[in-house]
Amino acid sequence: MDRIDRFVAYSELVGNVNTIIPAAEIEEEVGKGTAQKRYVKAHRFGLEPLQPDIDEKGINEAVVEADYAIAETGTVVLDSADEKLRLATCLAEKLTVLVEGSRVKEKLEDVVDFLEERSRKENGYIAFITGASRTADIERVLTIGVHGPREMQVIIVEDM
Amino acid sequence: MKKLRDRIQEKLNDKILHDTLKNFASSYKVSRDSAFKGLDFEALRRQVNSLKELSRMDVEDLFHQFKENVEEHGTQVYRAQDGTDANNYILDVCKKHSAEYIVKSKSMTSEEIKLNDALEAGGVQPVETDLGEYILQVSKDHPSHMVMPAIHQTRGQVCDIFTEHFGKEICPDIEEMVGVVRHYLRDYYFKAGVGITGANVAVASTGTIGIVTNEGNARLCTTLPPVHIVLLGYEKLVRNFEEAMKVLRVLPKSATGQIISTYVTWIKGRNPSFKSEDGLKETHYVFLDNGRLEYLEHPTLKEALKCIRCGSCANICPAYEMIGGHVFGHIYIGAIGLIFTALFHGEQAAREILNLCLSCKACSHNCPAGIDLQHLIGELKLFFGGKFGVSPLKKAVYSSVLAKPTVFRGLMGVGSVIQTPFITKNRKHLRLPLPEKRAFQIPPSVKRPTFTDLARGQTGATSAATSRVFFYPGCAVEYFYPNMGIALMDLLGRAGVRVDIPRISGCCGLPATFGGDRKSAEKIIHTTLNYMGHPDDYDAYLVLCPSCGVAIVEQFENFAKKDHVLEEKAKKIAAKTKSLSTFLEASAVKFRAGGNKKVTYHTPCHLGRGLKTTAEQYLSQLLGERFVPLKDTDVCCGFAGSYSVDFPGISSGILGKKIEHIKETGADMVVTDCPGCIMQIDGGVLNNDLPIKVLHLSDFLANLEIVRD
Repeated sequence: MDRIDRFVAYSELVGNVNTIIPAAEIEEEVGKGTAQKRYVKAHRFGLEPLQPDIDEKGINEAVVEADYAIAETGTVVLDSADEKLRLATCLAEKLTVLVEGSRVKEKLEDVVDFLEERSRKENGYIAFITGASRTADIERVLTIGVHGPREMQVIIVEDM
Repeated sequence: MKKLRDRIQEKLNDKILHDTLKNFASSYKVSRDSAFKGLDFEALRRQVNSLKELSRMDVEDLFHQFKENVEEHGTQVYRAQDGTDANNYILDVCKKHSAEYIVKSKSMTSEEIKLNDALEAGGVQPVETDLGEYILQVSKDHPSHMVMPAIHQTRGQVCDIFTEHFGKEICPDIEEMVGVVRHYLRDYYFKAGVGITGANVAVASTGTIGIVTNEGNARLCTTLPPVHIVLLGYEKLVRNFEEAMKVLRVLPKSATGQIISTYVTWIKGRNPSFKSEDGLKETHYVFLDNGRLEYLEHPTLKEALKCIRCGSCANICPAYEMIGGHVFGHIYIGAIGLIFTALFHGEQAAREILNLCLSCKACSHNCPAGIDLQHLIGELKLFFGGKFGVSPLKKAVYSSVLAKPTVFRGLMGVGSVIQTPFITKNRKHLRLPLPEKRAFQIPPSVKRPTFTDLARGQTGATSAATSRVFFYPGCAVEYFYPNMGIALMDLLGRAGVRVDIPRISGCCGLPATFGGDRKSAEKIIHTTLNYMGHPDDYDAYLVLCPSCGVAIVEQFENFAKKDHVLEEKAKKIAAKTKSLSTFLEASAVKFRAGGNKKVTYHTPCHLGRGLKTTAEQYLSQLLGERFVPLKDTDVCCGFAGSYSVDFPGISSGILGKKIEHIKETGADMVVTDCPGCIMQIDGGVLNNDLPIKVLHLSDFLANLEIVRD
């Protein structure tokens, strides 16, 4: 199984929707969301940034770009030192993450250099995210959306 | 507090708890195994064990590295000597910020020092945000599992708790209840003046902590309030991210059977915070000692600090499965809980509960940090035995009877006469007038002549022997099951193997070491070793009781250290000690198995995880389709020597599950490799009137024809 297939398999395991598309279809794919309150930060993919106010009511959707993805666990890696981005990804009902196929790495160890480099600075906040917020604290029954997002989509963009 | 016996009984009577933990144990194993599929678990845990192999000096170095990395950018690092010190520091920070509420994500370290009580007493209201912890906080309860703190509560019970707490009718639908809590706690993240979290790892090379959660509550606790306090023990320090990834690879898989937890958050220092005056979050890292640094200098106990808090030692513990974490543990739970209780919460809290360990080694076998938990529990028992003494009756048995084989033999002779009125028709068992709770066991009668009486003069094959072995019978074969030993002599004799036996059969010392009596164990082992011939004369030392085998392999050398010659002998014998099936597999002896009876096999704990072998494969190859695998074959049968007398309720409960699995196989025969397991399982079979024969592998094989090439 290649890297991307492996990533998708593990990402599906936690209930994520995964889409693999060419760059030309990004606008259309992301535009599908009809969310009213939407945070967007995905410069690399040429998306227009959107920064709504965020309070305890949360927002409908956060669309962000991942720094990396990890195939062995189906994880996306997001530098979240930006407070607004952190709030948006914590408090959105739906989290949509874009990542280029070339940024999908095989193993956890493959992002160590990135973690090390970003943590050399005076501060750092990097999130590994693998699926929607969940709990199994009552009778071990899996329940989605206990504090954070209830849905997650990963859009893998084919490299040029 | 109530007596341990009563607390156990209360849990044994709790049918809901029983079913919950039973279902959990079986589903956990499935998901854990599937999470580790394709990975080399042994290699992974060796890595974790070795990266956590840190001396006190190493930890001091890592701590200073961590500290420098964050302090230079304005984070405050505090070294708390103990719980009170940490609590006071944290309370001071909360008060300085006039925080009315603080939000907390799950931290066992905060449970260890009872942080919530200290905060409340200081006028600050902590709000637990992990759902399980929140349920417990609202109901003034405490965790019964390190990862799933409210596992002892059912949805109905949670519904009652919430209905009372929120003062309105809450529907017992899990999704709905989760929704209510989501809505309710959201406000608190915004209201809170301080967020408190623990840490799963602390990366020294950069000064970064890693927090693993599924709910996302730690992210909110570390994002919204203007102040973040991290409470962590020194043992969370790792050198770099490379090492952190090794911990992360095993932690969620062992904890919940997930490939990875939903959120892993790497935080360093003062991140932007719109609620803070200078726009940057105020951060405090509180490193808790509470004895840790000194334990790092202890040759054995330092192992315990390698724990990554996955909770899996509870998940696979048969005794935990019977009584849950409120009894099997104190604040920390499971096998590591018994150990941490001794380390952090004192002798008084630990002494009694250490005895709840069956010594089945399942925890050691499953620990993703490669900690031999059962060994540590054994060491602590010996320590407490040495310090506070062993119960007088047990002490007398260990030192005056087991250490003196001739006295033991004499007493067993008396026993063989006294028991006469209770012997069953087939002469095999005793029907003792036992109280109801002990009636699950049907003990074997004391046999006279004993094994060595019967076997004296026999040496198996005499002429043209292909190999020569020494058979160590142990007390069970010598006095209760001579037939098993005779069977072994007979079948090996037919196979052309010469078998020597000790002139006088001595005890292996295991009852004394498990009972915490080091002195008697030493005496016993010295005596027994003297009767074990010269290791150079033998190809193998065979045992039919794997517990004796474990004693020989793991303990003889340690307990013979005072006598160099004996120590060398113990070492050589240990290297040659084998179970019957291991010996046969490596030999040229082949059997022919006729008939049509279905056979299943129970793997004794001390065979599977002690001598690290099982006859399952051997029998399966020998019997083909007649062999039916037993579900959970390597899970303890509940016997564990005097455990079954000390904790009859737990022992019979575990046996009940074993019998259930045996019934499911539809087998006519249960073969196993341990006299203790036979006694326990036979009792279960007889009491359930099952038409199933329980026998030792040696007895089973003795009835088969040997095939000659």
